[in-house]
Amino acid sequence: MIEAILVGAVRGGTSIVYATVGETITERSGVLNLGTEGSMLAGALAAYAIGVETGSPWLGAVAGLVAGLALSLVHALLVITRGANQVATGLAVTFLGIGLTSLYGQGYVSQGVVPFESVAIPGLADLPFLGPILFDHDPLTYLSFAIVPAAWWLLYRTGLGLRIRAAGERPDVLSTMGTSPARVRWTAVAIGGALAGLGGAQLATAFARTWSEDMVAGKGFIAVALVIFAGWNPLLTIAGAYLFSGAVAFELELQARGAGISIFVLDAIPYLVVLAVLALLSGRRRHAAPESLDSVFDTGGA
Amino acid sequence: MKLPTTQLTRLLALLLAFGLVAAACGGSDAEDGSDAGSSTDSSEEATDDSAADSTDDGGEDAAADSDACGAGATTVGFLYVGPKDDFGYNQAAYEAAVAMGESTGVEVLHAENVPETIEDAVPVMEDMIAQGATILFPTSYGHFQPAVEVAAAHPDVCVVHQGQLESSLDEPLDNLGTYFASVFEPVYLAGIAAGSVTESNTMGYIYAFPIPQTLQNINAFALGAQSVNPDAEVIAVSTADWCDPAKQAQAAQTLLDQGADVLTQHQDCTKTIIETAEAAGAYSVGYHYDASELAPEGWITGSDWAWTPLYVDIVETMIAGEFVASPYNGDYRIGYQDADAPFVAFEPSEFGAVVDDDTKAAVADALASLTADEDGDGVGDFNIFAGPISDRDGEVRIPDGTAPTYTELDELMGFASWFVAGVEGSLE
Amino acid sequence: MNAGTKVGVNTLRPVLAVAATLVVFALLLVVNGSDPVAGYQAMWSSVTRDANSFGDVLVRLTPYLLAALAVIVPARAGLFNIGGEGQLLIGAVGSMAMANALGQALPRTLTLVLMASAAMLAAALWAGIAAVMRETTGTNEGISTLLLNYVALLVLGWLVFGRWKDPAATGFPRSRVLEDSESLPILWGRVHVGFIVAIVAAVAVWAVLRWSRWGFDLRVLGGNPEAARRAGLRSGRLATSALMAGGALAGLGGMLQMAGVENQLRQSMMAGYGFTGILAAWMVRQHPIQAIGSAALLAVIAVGGNGLKIRAGLSAASVSILMALLLLAILGWGQARPGRKGASA
Repeated sequence: MIEAILVGAVRGGTSIVYATVGETITERSGVLNLGTEGSMLAGALAAYAIGVETGSPWLGAVAGLVAGLALSLVHALLVITRGANQVATGLAVTFLGIGLTSLYGQGYVSQGVVPFESVAIPGLADLPFLGPILFDHDPLTYLSFAIVPAAWWLLYRTGLGLRIRAAGERPDVLSTMGTSPARVRWTAVAIGGALAGLGGAQLATAFARTWSEDMVAGKGFIAVALVIFAGWNPLLTIAGAYLFSGAVAFELELQARGAGISIFVLDAIPYLVVLAVLALLSGRRRHAAPESLDSVFDTGGA
Repeated sequence: MKLPTTQLTRLLALLLAFGLVAAACGGSDAEDGSDAGSSTDSSEEATDDSAADSTDDGGEDAAADSDACGAGATTVGFLYVGPKDDFGYNQAAYEAAVAMGESTGVEVLHAENVPETIEDAVPVMEDMIAQGATILFPTSYGHFQPAVEVAAAHPDVCVVHQGQLESSLDEPLDNLGTYFASVFEPVYLAGIAAGSVTESNTMGYIYAFPIPQTLQNINAFALGAQSVNPDAEVIAVSTADWCDPAKQAQAAQTLLDQGADVLTQHQDCTKTIIETAEAAGAYSVGYHYDASELAPEGWITGSDWAWTPLYVDIVETMIAGEFVASPYNGDYRIGYQDADAPFVAFEPSEFGAVVDDDTKAAVADALASLTADEDGDGVGDFNIFAGPISDRDGEVRIPDGTAPTYTELDELMGFASWFVAGVEGSLE
Repeated sequence: MNAGTKVGVNTLRPVLAVAATLVVFALLLVVNGSDPVAGYQAMWSSVTRDANSFGDVLVRLTPYLLAALAVIVPARAGLFNIGGEGQLLIGAVGSMAMANALGQALPRTLTLVLMASAAMLAAALWAGIAAVMRETTGTNEGISTLLLNYVALLVLGWLVFGRWKDPAATGFPRSRVLEDSESLPILWGRVHVGFIVAIVAAVAVWAVLRWSRWGFDLRVLGGNPEAARRAGLRSGRLATSALMAGGALAGLGGMLQMAGVENQLRQSMMAGYGFTGILAAWMVRQHPIQAIGSAALLAVIAVGGNGLKIRAGLSAASVSILMALLLLAILGWGQARPGRKGASA
């Protein structure tokens, strides 16, 4: 049962890993992007559509990345350049993403795509317990294993990462040093959108292998919540994503085993788990939040 | 606070004022001669409106009983809860509506993605009425309450709802009907095929919510499988959503891990589960739509909608002004047990390559006994849910000697939620 | 802001933003092969069809406006409430619980007042979960209220599939239908008194925020938490009260929706009205009176959207695109770019 739950956590959690890592980078620069949900949807549709048209899931994944990035630029434009409220803008961007993907996705609902297939890694996949959990997945899942440390490396070992963190903590210092915080933030938002788009691509072309309206179903919002869980540390995002999808797998497992609990109670478990860990960890994580994020919830526009 | 947006407020006020004036003008057209201000129920005006419309448009085809709802209709409106190309429930209804329009010559209005709230669905239907529709088909199960509202307000418009039962209302309406297909019969037949094909004797059923039709399907599937394979078990898992592909994929994985080698479903979108089963080398039983092309290896069979003949018959009955006396004015259910029915609305799909001839014969036998009417009472002799049937805890739910009708089943397996023996899974 | 010369431009900005949105949306329609003029005509005729269609705008405005107020009050204290949808649902549940408890023993007015009170209390407590999480553990209230929406929907499902399932509904998951003495008076067609309640609520919120001590304190807290603390304000309590007041307003909206439109509980009784309320609040940057206008505009778009679907044959999605574009235009260009304060600028 534990193995099944962990396998489910990895399979179902990959798209959330991408989105959470992306949102972590974005927030590190001092921008909160609730449009992540919309970027995931854009990525899912673009990947699926291009996959259908070209027959190549890889081209689809690239398209998903570009689409997620493109939508996030709307957020960047409004929030960074126009100074609009981040939360409201993010929600509006998500609305826009839902509308646009539903409009342009209509023709693809009934189409079949060449999906990313699982590739068992010879030798490793046969390991007991760890084999099925870690070494029998689609290529984008393997890539997500690499994205997490890569994001850490980006943030802590590169000049860009330093500038992103500076934009989030001390934008004034960054300005004094001659770097525009706005430009750094545009970059960080774009990276976040691209990763969310890639997550959407994994969802549509590897995991669910379909396109349907609003298929992201809140995973982008969950990703934003999980950034707090991870304390803005990219290495911990993977744990958060797997926790959520592991809770889904756990709930389904309980159902399948005939636990005498209402399906409505069981279905609430993943959300309650996220709420509970947020409650447990928020106090400890608070200091980890980029300074500039404090002004994110600045609601006084008028 | 500064008020930089007062201008916006003014603009909106202007918009609204314009709307009011327009509404007043529209109203006075309709209420010509009657007391404009004190009309407590605007349904009167709307009625006048649409009656005038329908005589304008359909004057040449005035039926004898022109007072009856839908008589002489030239325009029919269809509402779908989801996108009309969902490769599932909504697409099936949409395509049949188009075919009905071609066959009967009426104009068909379509509105997709209509939420099930009264606030959303009623205005859509009234908009259709304003465009001359005198027959409405709200096709989603949750469109029932809006359908009742519209039917009550527009006595000259026939409203037929797909899914629920009119008898659940305190006061049935003359211009309202409910219809559905006995979905569980083809599912029972599919259960026979799946019970024969399964090697692990474990089959997975992914559903959304325990509504009557779903419970009937799950239980019928298990009974069908057990009729040829007493060891067959069904594990039922809910996604708590009619179309959440990621949750479906995860549920499918859970079931495969539990040893299920057949997956079936009651969901609005069906592709993910079939693809997941195929990729895992498991068998598939479809629902709503023939998806055999998605599973060239593992396809067993499925059930497809075939609404067209029923839609045509309902519309023609209404156009002739004969709706009130017809069976469509009430709780109409169509299925194999109705021995006199010229058609059904839900049929088994084609078999896949994995189904052998013996199994096909067993399915054919069961189908024949569903429709056979030796005693000539107009009801097929074989009732899938004929008592005694107990739930999995041993409590008798359908007593010995009871052969529930389609409508009785909604109450027997719906108000109380229960699974037959051999079905594993949580309920509420 | 440079006073004087800029004033004219700034007051016109929102109007220009709306106009620009209509142009952009028209272009989108053209790109998709639709006739934008026909599209707008279809929308307009769906709204102005008759007294009923105009009434639909008022009916639709009601939950939008109360959900907007549920955003506005916490926002005054610097808090973000994204839980309007769930709070609407919990309000509906609370009012049904009260109606069940009363069993029609009381006169109609009293029954309705008690139902509304129960709705407001239930939804305030629901929002209070997020408030308590914020105060005790520092959990971001935007995230927690958002997550609670999902849970609220499951609470409703659990009730209508379980103990509140109506035996008369032949197995279909819905609660009993309210009696006449438990439902709101109808003015005409489907128009119930709820929109008047909502507008009164908007004015009341405006007055309270503007004139009361509490409203002043909220503004201080929202404007400068540090100053609020130095002024001796109990910021935790204030924030909690603001969020709970927001919940109560959404809860009232849920009650009006239940007792005025749906008359029973069903899973699909709110179709994203809480989220649309967030758009309505932000279109006017949290001004309670102006929110009446933005809620009305969104209601016009929603009702007019039926015309896009039926008359112009456009996808239902076009309505959400139009709403999103509108909000983006107003957020980004509805006012001069605010000064570079903080890092969000």
